[in-house]
Amino acid sequence: MNGCILILVALGLSIVFGLMGIINFAHGIFYMLGAYAGWLTVQLTGSFWLALAVAPAVVGLLGALVERGILKRIYGTRNAAFAGVLVTYGLAIMIPDLVRMTFGRPGKPFAMPKILTGSLFQLGATEVHGYRVFILLVTALLLPLLWLLLNKTNLGLVIRAGTSDNLMVQLLGINVARTWTVTYALGAALAAFAGVITAPLVAVAPEMGGLVLIECFIVTVVGGMGSFLGAVAGGLLIGETLALTGMLYDVFADVVIYLAMALVLLVRPRGLFGQEGMAEE
Amino acid sequence: MRGLVLAALVLATAPLYADYTPFYLGLLTEVLVFGLFALAYDVLLGHAGVLSLGHSAFVGVAAYVTGILLARYQAPLEPSVLAGALGGLLTSLILGVFVLRKRGVYLAMLTLALSQVFYYVVLMWTPVTGGTDGLGNLPVLHLSAPLGWRLSKRPITRYYVIATVIFLAMLAIRHILRSPLGRAMRAVKANETRAAACGYDTRRIKLAAFAISGFFSGLAGALLTVVLEFVPIENIHWQMSGTVLIMALFGGTGTLLGPFVGAGLFIWMRDFVSKHLEYWEVFVGGVFVLIVLFFPDGIVGTLSRLSGRRRAVPLVEQSDRLPDPERLVGAAARGGSDERLLESQALTKSFGGLTAVSHVDFRVRRGELRSVIGPNGAGKTTFFNLLTGVLPPSGGRILFKGRDITGLPAHAVSRLGIARSYQVTNIFGDLTVFENVRIAAQSRVTHYRFWGSADRLAAVNERAEDILRHLGLGDKRVVRGAELSHGEQRYLEIGIALATDPDFLLLDEPTAGMSPDETQRTAAFVRGLAGRVTIVVVEHDMEVVMGISDRITVLNYGEVLAEGTPAEIRENADVRRVYLRD
Repeated sequence: MNGCILILVALGLSIVFGLMGIINFAHGIFYMLGAYAGWLTVQLTGSFWLALAVAPAVVGLLGALVERGILKRIYGTRNAAFAGVLVTYGLAIMIPDLVRMTFGRPGKPFAMPKILTGSLFQLGATEVHGYRVFILLVTALLLPLLWLLLNKTNLGLVIRAGTSDNLMVQLLGINVARTWTVTYALGAALAAFAGVITAPLVAVAPEMGGLVLIECFIVTVVGGMGSFLGAVAGGLLIGETLALTGMLYDVFADVVIYLAMALVLLVRPRGLFGQEGMAEE
Repeated sequence: MRGLVLAALVLATAPLYADYTPFYLGLLTEVLVFGLFALAYDVLLGHAGVLSLGHSAFVGVAAYVTGILLARYQAPLEPSVLAGALGGLLTSLILGVFVLRKRGVYLAMLTLALSQVFYYVVLMWTPVTGGTDGLGNLPVLHLSAPLGWRLSKRPITRYYVIATVIFLAMLAIRHILRSPLGRAMRAVKANETRAAACGYDTRRIKLAAFAISGFFSGLAGALLTVVLEFVPIENIHWQMSGTVLIMALFGGTGTLLGPFVGAGLFIWMRDFVSKHLEYWEVFVGGVFVLIVLFFPDGIVGTLSRLSGRRRAVPLVEQSDRLPDPERLVGAAARGGSDERLLESQALTKSFGGLTAVSHVDFRVRRGELRSVIGPNGAGKTTFFNLLTGVLPPSGGRILFKGRDITGLPAHAVSRLGIARSYQVTNIFGDLTVFENVRIAAQSRVTHYRFWGSADRLAAVNERAEDILRHLGLGDKRVVRGAELSHGEQRYLEIGIALATDPDFLLLDEPTAGMSPDETQRTAAFVRGLAGRVTIVVVEHDMEVVMGISDRITVLNYGEVLAEGTPAEIRENADVRRVYLRD
């Protein structure tokens, strides 16, 4: 389960990095805002299913605004990549406090849709909950769609071409600026979606973005930055490692994933599925 | 110098300006400690161009080392603080070795992720570190005999002791930044590829920067323990790295004063803004975003730019003596056979399915001026990149002075005496014209020396000065490289290559984009160097090629098509067919 969420969030981080060369520190914010948008939708309409659609749409739009309004200013400046880290980091400091201002400090409970509560069946000693199966299914459905989007559509072609040579794509007369906005919005929407489907399992809180962000960094380092397969494999690996060590010996869980990352870095610095030369500069 | 005296005066009198309560005096001390931390951080960001998000590990490990020595072992204060600083140094070396396999923002992300390992170690090792509760129960702190001053509950004494240490640390950092190593760091920041081509092992230079930054961050961490008399676990959490980054950028990177101003501003926000504004992080984050977007030089950087103060330029005595051309090149000890100074055997480079250079056998005699010509895409620049270690070959060997140099990294190739210029101008745009050439000349003398002023390396200065005057750039010496005209930048590029005192010089289209006048001057200059240094030129201007070359090699589709004297090449039927097209 944990792995599914990580895959979805890390995928957005990875795509944005691949295309724009920006380590998006605001990515965790979109995840958190997605959960809040979902919570708000449920409060207003009572429908979890509506929240699943509304949160990514709203947060995706917000992502587009951030890209147009703020990030656009740093493109082409000296050290744009550093500035991208710094600006998004600034947002990552600001926005949780804004959320606290608006919704208060304590977390918000987020009710699970009735149909998915309770356990589905028994698997050995553990009960398999309906909601967890739901997350698994949704991810399994979403990933092929995303893969198709990135590999079989025009937009995906431009994104992948831009990842390997941005200037060339621009010279071909393709509107790269719009592609960047769309990509950034897509990453935000993905994170928001992950935020909503996580929400029933945890309390919705302003701090939830920070934690997931660091775990996603590890996922992308292990899997390889800018790689679709890398995000999926890394997400599964890290997610399952967390879950397994968490079951065996709780306090070790976090340490183990860091050690896994250090090991990958030693043996294969570009990550399991990273391409050579990617993320060098 | 005046700035230093002023800083000392401010530090000495700061406690007198107001009737400070012990609380405020403690806060003032904390500002200084964080200022040192931000300055140490900026050694890496502002002076070596490395963005780190892992400094929480350096400061945190140091704080805990000092705290544990004091609290658990009742160790005396001074050795505990020193051990803390060394702990920071060691941590930075461990982290540096890992993360320097990567560059740029990817490296930044790695520093963040790896620094969290230290956080979790502290978190889990509760019996020693106190875990989430932090490390408390420090004994009464006092200096060792003979001074023996008590620091605990004596805010004034503590302030002056810590201010003194910080002032000395600032002096040390200032000294290091002006040393040959400090200059090499700046060169790496300005243009890493070029620095490597000048012979600098850029990874090691950056590792050295990590070490310096780690040591002084460690010192700050140790002093933080002395100020707070407590080690909160937040010291080693990654947000500490974010805090120091914000401080450094608030004040302005690349300045000595900026980090202290930034630390002051941040702590003011934390302690005073938060009193009136519960959600003060909105404020901090907002100000931070605005500074990054609109004032990337920070407060001190922006102010000093507005007041029109330019960056200091090195002062070197001008002399009227005309440089002796003999001194430009040919001074280094020479070895190897004259017939085959450089030789490639079946040298091959493939990019996926494309073979850019295919089984090239190439041999250059000492003192020769060889031109390599060929249509666009013939593999000329790739061939240069193979010879200079920028690209590893897919097959074949390269011998220089009889030594196999196949697969050596660019800096090692440069140190053996091979220098190059680039097809697309590649200079240190942010450094002065003089420093561009000086840093290249320094490479033959010292890379890592971190004491003594780099500006006092007399032989290096003289050499840089000679080269600039020879190239007609003498009066532009204090101008930033990026501000030169295109033609001047091309000259400077040759000057950088010459300054490393090579036996073997590769010039990649030296006259590209030059006016006819400049082209002629460059051709004459290159011809004038021939005989004293072996030169291989890639050139498109046929007039230049035919006029200056001893021999010419023609490449086509990555293979050697022909080789011979200009007259022979002119008559060669193959060459006429594929290249001269007549």
